[in-house]
Amino acid sequence: MRTVQWLTLFLALISAAPAGAGVLEVSLLDQHGKPVADAVVTLLPQNKPSPSRGGLGGDGVDAPSPAHATTVKVIDQKNLTFIPYIEIFRPGDSVVFRNSDGTRHHVYSFSPAKAFEFVLAPGESSAPLVLDKTGVIAVGCNIHDQMIAYLYVSGAPWIAHSGANGTVKFRDLPAGAYTVRVWQPRLRPSQPDLAQSVTVVGATPVQTVKFDLPLLPDPRLQFDREHTSY
Amino acid sequence: MSFRARLALFFVATLIAVQALTAVLVYQVTRHELIREGQRQLGVAATAFSRQLDDISGRVADSVQMLALDYALRSAIAQHDQATMQSALANHGRRVGATQMLLLDPEGRVEVDTLGAYARGTRFPYSDLVNRAYTQPAAAVVAWRDHAYWMVVVPVFAPNLVGLIAASIPIDDGLLARLQAQSTLPRNIELAARERDGTWKTMARGHESVALTMPLMSRKPSLPTPPMLLEAHGREFVAQAVALDHSRASAPVIAVLGYSVDQALSPYRTVAVAWAALLALGLAIGLVGAWLIARGVSRPVEQLAASAQRIEAGDYSPPQIARGDELGQLSSAFARMAEAIREREARITHQAGHDQVTGLPNRINAEAAIQRELEGGHSAALLMIGLARVPEIIKTMGHAVCDRLMRDAGARIAPIGKGLAARATDMQFAVLLPGAGRQDAIATGFRLLDALAEPYREADLTLDLSPAIGIALAPVHATGANGLMRRAEIALLSALGSEEPITVYEAATDPHRPERLSLMGDLREALDHDRLELHYQPKLHLASGRIDGAEGLVRWPHPRLGSIPPDDFIPLAEETGNIRRLTRWALAAGIAQAGRWSAAARDIRVSINLSARDLDDTELPRRVAELLALHAVAPQCIALEITEGAIMDKPDAAVAVLRRLTDQGIDLAIDDFGVGHSSLAYLRRLPVRELKIDKSFILHLTEQRADQTIVRSIVELGHHLGYRVTAEGVENTRVLRQLAEMGCDHAQGFHIAKAMPAPAFDEFLSRREALHA
Repeated sequence: MRTVQWLTLFLALISAAPAGAGVLEVSLLDQHGKPVADAVVTLLPQNKPSPSRGGLGGDGVDAPSPAHATTVKVIDQKNLTFIPYIEIFRPGDSVVFRNSDGTRHHVYSFSPAKAFEFVLAPGESSAPLVLDKTGVIAVGCNIHDQMIAYLYVSGAPWIAHSGANGTVKFRDLPAGAYTVRVWQPRLRPSQPDLAQSVTVVGATPVQTVKFDLPLLPDPRLQFDREHTSY
Repeated sequence: MSFRARLALFFVATLIAVQALTAVLVYQVTRHELIREGQRQLGVAATAFSRQLDDISGRVADSVQMLALDYALRSAIAQHDQATMQSALANHGRRVGATQMLLLDPEGRVEVDTLGAYARGTRFPYSDLVNRAYTQPAAAVVAWRDHAYWMVVVPVFAPNLVGLIAASIPIDDGLLARLQAQSTLPRNIELAARERDGTWKTMARGHESVALTMPLMSRKPSLPTPPMLLEAHGREFVAQAVALDHSRASAPVIAVLGYSVDQALSPYRTVAVAWAALLALGLAIGLVGAWLIARGVSRPVEQLAASAQRIEAGDYSPPQIARGDELGQLSSAFARMAEAIREREARITHQAGHDQVTGLPNRINAEAAIQRELEGGHSAALLMIGLARVPEIIKTMGHAVCDRLMRDAGARIAPIGKGLAARATDMQFAVLLPGAGRQDAIATGFRLLDALAEPYREADLTLDLSPAIGIALAPVHATGANGLMRRAEIALLSALGSEEPITVYEAATDPHRPERLSLMGDLREALDHDRLELHYQPKLHLASGRIDGAEGLVRWPHPRLGSIPPDDFIPLAEETGNIRRLTRWALAAGIAQAGRWSAAARDIRVSINLSARDLDDTELPRRVAELLALHAVAPQCIALEITEGAIMDKPDAAVAVLRRLTDQGIDLAIDDFGVGHSSLAYLRRLPVRELKIDKSFILHLTEQRADQTIVRSIVELGHHLGYRVTAEGVENTRVLRQLAEMGCDHAQGFHIAKAMPAPAFDEFLSRREALHA
C-alpha cells in the first residue's frame, strides 16, 4: 500500500511538472442559487497522507509549509464590526485586534483553537496573539453581540476564501486528485464543512467544482430586532 | 257567553297572542343574534387567544434569549462546564417560569437537563424546534406528560453557535385564568391534546371553564373548527377549536373556546322579567279597558234587549238611552217602533173588540165585559135586541143598506144601553144593565122598543125594524156571560116567534137546556141496556065493550131523574138521530108482547108509534117482518101509528115505506088526527086503516058543540072512507057514552085505563073479564 501511494505521488509529480498550469475554479452557491461569499475553500492533494479529519474547519494540516513565513494580520474593529469578517491564518501566524471605534470592545473567544479575552479601549490595539493551532476561532465582542469574526487557521497547501462573486480560483495546480473542502460560518452545525473530490488534469484549462451550500441566516443579523420575525 | 265577556276575551287574547309572538320573536332574534355575536366574538377570541399565546411565547423566547446572552453562561457552555451550566440554567429557568431547562449541543443532543428527564447525549425530541432555532428562537406548544408547555429553543452564540437552550414553560390552569383575567377571553377555554387513539384529552382549563372539548371534538370537525352550537351539561354553547402551533414531535394541541348562550342571555332575563311585568300590566289594563268598552256597548244593548222584552210583554215605554252614537240611533228607532206597535195594537185591539159597522163592542168583547160585570155574583140584566126583518132586508136591499140600518139602530140603542151596548150578532144587539132586576129590564126594554119603533129611513126607503127583546137575568138564569147571553138569545127567539115583543127567559120552556145533552147519553145507555119499558094503554071497542087493542107507549124510568115523560125524550131522540133505535126497540118489545098475547089467545092488537124519521128507513118493513116472523105474530096483531105531520113532511118516501108495511098486512093509523093540516085527498092515497082523533077534540067533547060536530063528522067521514076511528083522551063516562053514540069505533083514555106494564095489563084484562062475566 505504501508502495502504491508513493507511486501515485510520483505519477502526480511527473504529470504536474510538465503541465504546471492546472486551474480549479470552485463555484459556491447557496440554496437560493446565489453566490456565497466568505466561504473558505481548502484544497488538499489526495495522495498526500492526511491525518484524520476533525475539528471545526480544521484540515488536519497543522504544520505550515516550510516555505511559509509567519505573518501578523490585523483584525480591525470599526463601526462595531470586525473587519474582515473572515481571515485565514497559517499555524504560527499572529493576529492583532485593533479598535478603531469610539467605544470599548470586549474581544473574546471560547474556541478550542485559541481562547482569549481582553478589553480594547478606543484606538487601542491588542498584543499579537500567536495562532499555533489549526481550527476556526470564532471571535466576538461581549459588549456588541452582533460583532463576530472568524479566524480560520489551516495548514492546507491551497486555501482561499470567496468574495462576493462566490468563486475561488486556484491556479498552477499540479495535476492530480484533490479534496476540495468548503467551510462557511453559516453552514449547519451538523455539517460544518463540505468536501468533494476532484482530479485536476493539466491539459484542461479550467476545472470547475460546484458547491451548493445550505446556509443558515447570517448570525450577525440575528440580533437586529428589525430583522427578526418572532 | 255574553257579548261583553267575548269582547273582553277577544281583546285579551289578541293582546296575549301579540305579546307572546313578540316575546318569542324577540327571544329567537336575540338568541340568534347572541349566537351569531358569540360566534363572531369567538372567532375574534380564538384569533386573539392564539396571538396572545404567540405573544407570550415570544416574550418567553425573548427572556430565554436574554439568558442565552449571559456571558457567564456562554462561557460555561463554551467551556462545557457542566455544573455551572446546570445551576445557571436552573437559575435562569426560575426567572422565566420554566419548569425544565435544557442545554443542547449545536446538533441537538441533550447536554444538560435540569429536570433530568433526558439523559445526556440523547437527541432532543423536538428537532423541528432545534432546526428553527438555528436561525431564530423557536417556540411551540408541546404536550408532555398530560400537560401543555411552551417549548422555547434559542441558540447560544459565543459568538458562534455553541449550543441551544430549551426552556419548557407550563401552560396550566393558572396561566389560562390569568389570560382570562387580563383580556376579554371567553370564560370557557381549554387546552387539549390528541391521544394516540384520536380522542382529545384536556390538559388545562380556564377558570370556571366547562368541559367543551369532548362534545365539540366528538363531532370530529376539521381544524380550526367553525364556531359551532352545541349542548354540554344541559346548557348551550357556541364553541370553537383552534389548533395551536405545536411541535411536530408533539401530539397536536388545540385550544377550545366556548361561549355560553345561556350566560349571554342572562342579561336579557331582567328584560324578560320586565317584559312579563309589562305584559301583565298591559293585560290588566287591556282587560279593564276591554271590559269598560264592552260594557259601554253591551249595557245599552242589554237595555235594548230588556226593552224588546218589555215590548213583547206589552209595555211600550221607550228605552232610556241618551247617546249620540249608533246605539243611540238604535234606541230612538226602538222607541219609534214601540210607539208604532202600540198605536197599531190599539187599533187592532179596538177592531178586534168592536163591530166595524156600528162601532159598538162586538160579541167577544161584550162577553168579556159581561163576564167582568158578573164577577163576584153581581146581579145584572142582559137584553138581547133582535131585528126580525134584517135577513129579509139583506136579501132584498143588500148588505150596504143593512149596514147603514144597523148603524142607525146601534146609534139609537147606545144611549139607552148605558151600562153596555154591543152588537152581539149580525141581527142582534145586546144591552147589559148592571144591577138591574126584572122590572128595570122590562122597563128599559120598552124604552128600547120605543127607540126602535121609528122606521129606518133612507132617501125613498123606509124600513120597519120590527124589534124584539129577550131578557135574561143574572144570577137567576145564569152566572156566566156565555150562559146569560145564550139565555137572553133563547128568550129573544121566543119573543120573535110570539106576539110579545119582550120575553123574559123561562127555564121550563127552554128546549136547549144543557141537561138535555146528558139526557141523550142516558137514553142511549138505556137503549143499550134495555132499561126502557113499553107500557100499554088499552083501547076499548065501543061496540062490544071489549078491550081488543093496546097502544104501546115508551116509558123511561131514569135512575136519577125518575120517570121521564115521552114528550121530553122523544123529540130529543128525534133531534139527535136516536129515534130509529128507539123505534126499533119499541117494535121489538111491542111485537114480542103481541106474540105473547097471541100465544095466550088474547086478541089484542098492539099499536106502536112511528116517528117521522122512521119513514126514511127503508129497512123498516123488512125489520118488522123479521120481528113478526121471530115472534110468530100475525100482521093483523099489530098496528103502526104515525102523526099527520110525519106523513106530510116526506110524502113520497113515506108512502113507499108505508105501502110496503101495509102490503104485509099491517094496519096503519093516523095519530093526532085533526090538528095537523093533512089533505084529505092526500090521505086517500095512503094505505091507512084507522084515524085517531086528537085528544084536544075529545077532552071537552061534552061541553063543546063544535067538538061534537067535528068528532061526529070525522067519525062519519072515516067510516065513509072505510077507516076505523079511535078517540083519544077519554076521561069520563059521558064522553065515552057520547062517542059510542056517535059510532066511534074505539076509545082510549084515562077513563078506561092509563098505560101500564104488560103484567098489569094482563091483570086489568082478567079483572075486567071477571067483572063482565
